[in-house]
Amino acid sequence: MVLMLFISMTLLSCSEDFTNRPSEDSILLDDYYETNAQVATATNAMYNRTWFQFHNKFFFAIGEIGSGNMMSFSSDVSAMRNFSITGSDQELLAGWRSLWANVAQANSVINFLEDRVGPQVDDEVLQNTIGEAYFMRATAYFYLVRLWGPVPIIENSLEYATNPLINTNRVEDVYELIRRDYQQAINRLYDKTRTGNYPQNAKVTKGSAKAMLAKVHLYNGNYQDARALAQEVINSGEFKLLGGAELPSKSFADLFTYANNNNEESIFSLQWKVNGVYGNASNCNTQFGISNGTISTSNASYGGVFSPSQDILSLYDSNDLRRRETIMFPGTTYPEILAKNGSNFGPLVVPPADQIGGQNAGAAIKKYCIGIVNGDITGKADTWAMMENCTYIMRYSELLLIHAEAVLAGGASTSDAAALNSFNAVRNRAGLSSLSSITFNDIFTERRKELAFEGDYWYDLGRIPRSQAIAIMSAQNRGDQNNPAYFTPEEADFILPYPSNDVAKNPKLLDPPVPYVFN
Amino acid sequence: MRDLFFRFCRKTKSLKGLTTIILLCSIANSMAQSKISGTVTDDKGLTLPAVTVVVKGSNSSVVTDMDGKYQIIANSDATLVFSFIGFATKEIQVNGKNTIDVKLSENVEGLKEVVVIGYGSQKKSDVNSAISSIKSEDIKDLKQVSFDQMLQGKVAGVTVNNGSGQPGAAANVRVRGTTSISGTNEPLYIIDGVPVSGDATGRATSGRPIAGNDFSSSGGTGNVAASPLSLINPNDIESIDVLKDASATAIYGSRGANGVIIVTTKSGKKGNGKIVYDGFTSVTTISKRLDVLNLREYAQYQNDLAVLFGQPIRPDFSHPELLGNGTDWQDEIYQTAIAKNHNVSFSGNSNGTNYYISGGFLDQQGNIIGSGYKRYTAKVNVDGKVKDWIKVGTSINAGVSNEDITVNQSYVGLITNTLLQAPDVPVRTLDGDYAAPPMGQNVAYFNPVAEALIKTNKLIRKNFMGNAFAEITILKGLRYRVDASANTEFSENTEFTPSYDRGSQVNLTADLTERRQNWYSTNISNVLTYDFSVNKHKFTVLAGQEANQARWEGIIANAQDFKTNDIYTLNMGNPDLTNAQSYKGSQALYSLFGRVIYDFDNRYGLSASIRQDVSSKFDPTTDNQKGYFPAFTVSWKLSNEKFMESTKQYIDNIKIRLGYGETGNQQIPNNLYSANLGAQSDSFLPSNYANPNLVWESMNQTNFGLDFTTFNNKLGVTLDLYKKVSKDFLFLVPLPDYLTGGDSFLGGISAPFSNIGEVQNTGFDLALNFDTKSSGNFNWTSNLIISKYKNQVNEIVDGLPLTQEVNTNGFLPVTVTNTLVGQPIGMFWGYKTDGLFTSVDQFDNAPAQFGQTFGSAPGQTYLGDVKYVDVNNDGIVDERDKTVIGNPHPDFTFGFTNTFRYKNFDLSVFLQGSVGNDVMNLTYRNGTSNSQLYQNALTDALNYWTVDNPNANIPRPIGALSNTNLEISDRYVEDGSYVRIQNVTLGYSLPNSLISKAKLSRVKVYASAQNLFTFTKYSGYDPEIGSLNQNVLLSGIDNGRYPSPRTFSFGLNVEF
Repeated sequence: MVLMLFISMTLLSCSEDFTNRPSEDSILLDDYYETNAQVATATNAMYNRTWFQFHNKFFFAIGEIGSGNMMSFSSDVSAMRNFSITGSDQELLAGWRSLWANVAQANSVINFLEDRVGPQVDDEVLQNTIGEAYFMRATAYFYLVRLWGPVPIIENSLEYATNPLINTNRVEDVYELIRRDYQQAINRLYDKTRTGNYPQNAKVTKGSAKAMLAKVHLYNGNYQDARALAQEVINSGEFKLLGGAELPSKSFADLFTYANNNNEESIFSLQWKVNGVYGNASNCNTQFGISNGTISTSNASYGGVFSPSQDILSLYDSNDLRRRETIMFPGTTYPEILAKNGSNFGPLVVPPADQIGGQNAGAAIKKYCIGIVNGDITGKADTWAMMENCTYIMRYSELLLIHAEAVLAGGASTSDAAALNSFNAVRNRAGLSSLSSITFNDIFTERRKELAFEGDYWYDLGRIPRSQAIAIMSAQNRGDQNNPAYFTPEEADFILPYPSNDVAKNPKLLDPPVPYVFN
Repeated sequence: MRDLFFRFCRKTKSLKGLTTIILLCSIANSMAQSKISGTVTDDKGLTLPAVTVVVKGSNSSVVTDMDGKYQIIANSDATLVFSFIGFATKEIQVNGKNTIDVKLSENVEGLKEVVVIGYGSQKKSDVNSAISSIKSEDIKDLKQVSFDQMLQGKVAGVTVNNGSGQPGAAANVRVRGTTSISGTNEPLYIIDGVPVSGDATGRATSGRPIAGNDFSSSGGTGNVAASPLSLINPNDIESIDVLKDASATAIYGSRGANGVIIVTTKSGKKGNGKIVYDGFTSVTTISKRLDVLNLREYAQYQNDLAVLFGQPIRPDFSHPELLGNGTDWQDEIYQTAIAKNHNVSFSGNSNGTNYYISGGFLDQQGNIIGSGYKRYTAKVNVDGKVKDWIKVGTSINAGVSNEDITVNQSYVGLITNTLLQAPDVPVRTLDGDYAAPPMGQNVAYFNPVAEALIKTNKLIRKNFMGNAFAEITILKGLRYRVDASANTEFSENTEFTPSYDRGSQVNLTADLTERRQNWYSTNISNVLTYDFSVNKHKFTVLAGQEANQARWEGIIANAQDFKTNDIYTLNMGNPDLTNAQSYKGSQALYSLFGRVIYDFDNRYGLSASIRQDVSSKFDPTTDNQKGYFPAFTVSWKLSNEKFMESTKQYIDNIKIRLGYGETGNQQIPNNLYSANLGAQSDSFLPSNYANPNLVWESMNQTNFGLDFTTFNNKLGVTLDLYKKVSKDFLFLVPLPDYLTGGDSFLGGISAPFSNIGEVQNTGFDLALNFDTKSSGNFNWTSNLIISKYKNQVNEIVDGLPLTQEVNTNGFLPVTVTNTLVGQPIGMFWGYKTDGLFTSVDQFDNAPAQFGQTFGSAPGQTYLGDVKYVDVNNDGIVDERDKTVIGNPHPDFTFGFTNTFRYKNFDLSVFLQGSVGNDVMNLTYRNGTSNSQLYQNALTDALNYWTVDNPNANIPRPIGALSNTNLEISDRYVEDGSYVRIQNVTLGYSLPNSLISKAKLSRVKVYASAQNLFTFTKYSGYDPEIGSLNQNVLLSGIDNGRYPSPRTFSFGLNVEF
């Protein structure tokens, strides 16, 4: 009996702590943000992880294949070649999820970071981090509204955790949110000047937010504000054109190399990291470029999924410096790109058109293709052959074109010096002569040439009158080099279907959008 | 434990006997005495040493010697009592004889009568709850790797599905239907006192698989969970008791909701030491091939598709009729496999110490080239009395397995790869290298032979579990027992993809992933039991305490860019590309419990128990950690009433049972009550939404049972009716992506777990046992069990639809099931179809399909497209028309075992089946998609619609996976009912006259066929699908399942 009592007492006494088992391999959210460094890095993964699924294929499958810049027969990304995408498309879901991951993570910072930081964190640091979150949320919504039209406005994801079945909100309300968010970002982000110390240019700044907001104003037809903001950015001197007047030692070609990640022209770019975990790096080098079974520009063999459309092959004049840096034509040698040819490795010599393989386009995509892993020239690649070369969401040349367009302000043409200065800076950098008067079409075409394969043309086509866009797109040859193919989009094809999985969870997504009440 | 109790019972009996002897002795009158001698043997004529021989009514007794011989002095009119553990006691009158040879029969009935209940055991006739027991002989013919697979069709109320034919893969074991949605539904196993969770995914512990990638909700990359039970050698098992209803399982509280399966291994028995060898060799083959196109058919098919897709015809296919058969990838991948199994055991009793020592070896090739499974097991059970008042014992099991895993079950897995790889690709090129598709083809499929043979995916598991106990008799009837047990496992997984260059498919840098995981759990229990009786009132009172904890940690490292494929360790890779991650955690459960079992006059029985559990899964700063689990049950042995005397000859052993109990479920990942930061490349992101209000999932179960025997005890019937209600079931709230951005590994914030609803299961378990009990040459026993459950979701908070996705295309998740209030869990979800459009009229009269216009362009509806049904009648077919299109739950499952014995032959035939369940055949969807060039198809795919083939059943081909004809619909749902001849075994025991000369006591040879034939309408490999990685929301989804093999075995069983 004594023995038993003894045993039961010893065992009973230890029960309090016994069942308290806090996590041993992760940090409690409320216990972390104590120092400036911890707060400043809170948004780091929002430059790669949260964007990964958006960027991996969707960004190009919609923005480039949909717009007719790129072409693919690969069934995972080819639905927009002929406008047949459905709500169960895998990449549609991936892109949707990824944009909402940005919203969710940004909301966590915007709504809760201030309560979580320790007393020794400087307000400036805290505000800059919150500013980055506003920037990401605005950017995510900017894509969402352009791709899907009405979407739910979620300013605090947690509020809906017990009440998730909500309506979508009107497009104009979503734009209101985007403008407010970029303004919040402008108010909070650091002011800075981009220098040759590239690693320090990785994060967005006040100038980045202004530049993005200028683009939003342009989409809304608010030329006055767009012009003012673009002018502010230009005047600030924060950004420079590589190969422009202020940086003559560099060139357009330098924009798409690993060594020039976060150069002076980068306004906002995604920061890929090779760390062995799937979903942090860029697959562009593999998906673009050449992989024909003999010649390969990637460490993986499933390359060449995207190729240039037949339509874009004739876009550039032969003296346009961008031509070589955008499209690989047969016979061109790229000493800077290491390629595998049979079992040998050497500089890439683009094979004849019928041997380029891929999608049988007779050419391949050069932008973002940096070749087989080659030391410091390319940086490393992970198991999936994904690499660390940054992806531009906006660079300074686009800001200049936005500026020119804002000055044009919907007019037929302009010879305004401000507009010409900006416009011709982009043209001159590409080795082309200046124009003395420009129309919207000049700017529109220049945008396509400058930003081809950077995921923007789809949205440009989406902001001109539908009939014009349909006319442009139905005239594009979307076949391969042997078999022309033409497809005519319908009006409804400019807005993507909501992913089936989310409609299954909330059929109200299909109901008409409702107004959003801002606080 | 069951044995111990048995021995205890025997002890009491002999004490009583002794008392009687002493009493009789005092009044005995003196008679003429003589010396009597003889030999004691068993039924088979084998001599039995250590048999106690007592002169009835005296204190004179002897034991038989090593040769079973005895000598005793007794009166000529005395009676000799021969008793031996495990044998029926025999009394023989001397009647003046001097030589008395005795044959004792094994007391099989006596053994069967004891049933293990939680923390104790009971005579079967006294059990108040729904408990089913099976013995070693019931499963000995089944040639399965793991004993959970052997339960299939053997226990009423238990549904077992083998999710994969891969050796060592986990089975799904459901005791009375599906009770939890997100938590595991696997029962708790108590193996010789060591608690082991049946959860193969480790979801509630580390959350990591020990091989392969994640088990994310959508099935991840489809790796097969390794059974936590596969390291127990089934040969060591003596009995398995399945506690089904809550009145039995409530004593296990929070771990009892899915039923408790108590496994007792063999122990030494009094008598001559026994050496048993059991071994078999088996040959296994895949029992079915699917029809895919040969090269001629494929070439024609490719040409036809190319025309339809507006692409050029391949020059090499310009004359399909001139081509050969091409590569038959199924032939290349599937092999006839050999398995070898050897088991040796030594058991006996020496000076009051029982021992059982065994060793086992299994070497099983897989039916897919490159796969295989080896297992080494060792077992030691020892127990004995140290003093009159203290008994101690230990049970130790060691198991090591070495597994070559080649396959998984996803779209990109080897099975799908095998079916859809083009037949124009050879296995090897003329140079002898593995071949790849010709250049210029964009093909996701890899040469499956190369994949199977050059990739390394090894899993080594080393498991050690043991239990030690001491039982102290404090007073008469009052016992104190302490059990300390531990279970630990070390596992190593090495996955290596060498570099290769096959032309169109290359891997320039070899990749290595190493996973190391170890975990241990400890369990300590203190139990005080008091047996006493007052007149006709018998009581067993029990009070106990238990503390259980588990700790785990693991490391995952990978390296790439190896300079050689021959040697690969982490240090050989490119250091810039080497990285590592780790994880660790622990959990604990602290419990107090008590129970009273009361019996009045062997007529009325009652038991009541309660348990309190404190779990680390819930917020330690609140009361949510504590849960109380009461149970109550009553029984009435109607046959023991006087007024039933007259009916006993017709119907006997009638017992009526009624019970109610509450249990819980807490098998969810750790720390869900708090929000955590997940590590990213160089920073952190919030990884989940917290829910500090999480509480126990609780389950109430009511059980009504009826037992009786009839036809002179030849037919035994046990019927149980039950209703189980799971309240507050724990589930990852299915928030739409616009609130989470997907799971945390995608950069989103994972949805919180919450207590979100109520599920009920009603059903019955029926077991019929028939035994001719003939003493002659022929005997027939038959056992039929029928299990039926009806599952229904009663409530889900906020009316959340619990849709579940599965990865079908690489990483494309599509919704395949939905769980709705009023419906069973995990119903197939998709569109209803009404054939194909075959005329323009039909299109004009049909609801608009996804808002599409009529025409043959992509994104339009055309002739030959699937005609989906406008279920909600709103004039348009869209997402809102998705509905329930199939039910993965069977109407009932059954097992029917017949054993015939004629002289030295025995034949057993075991049928097993499932009736009324549907299967969603995603392999068929892949194989008939007609949406991509360069991949093969099922023969069925050829019957697609064209103008010339208007009566086709397959829609017109469209060159994109994203086309509406491929929506999940009833086109892919098939009847999954089947009846399987699961096992036929014919055995022959050599006659004793022959073998006794060689000092052998038993030699049996047998031949057995496993999975002999399946009657089914299902078109896929195997209708027995189970749940993908034990996820109940993915039940009955065939996404490229590793087919279960057909096995022919030849075995030998020898006893010395």
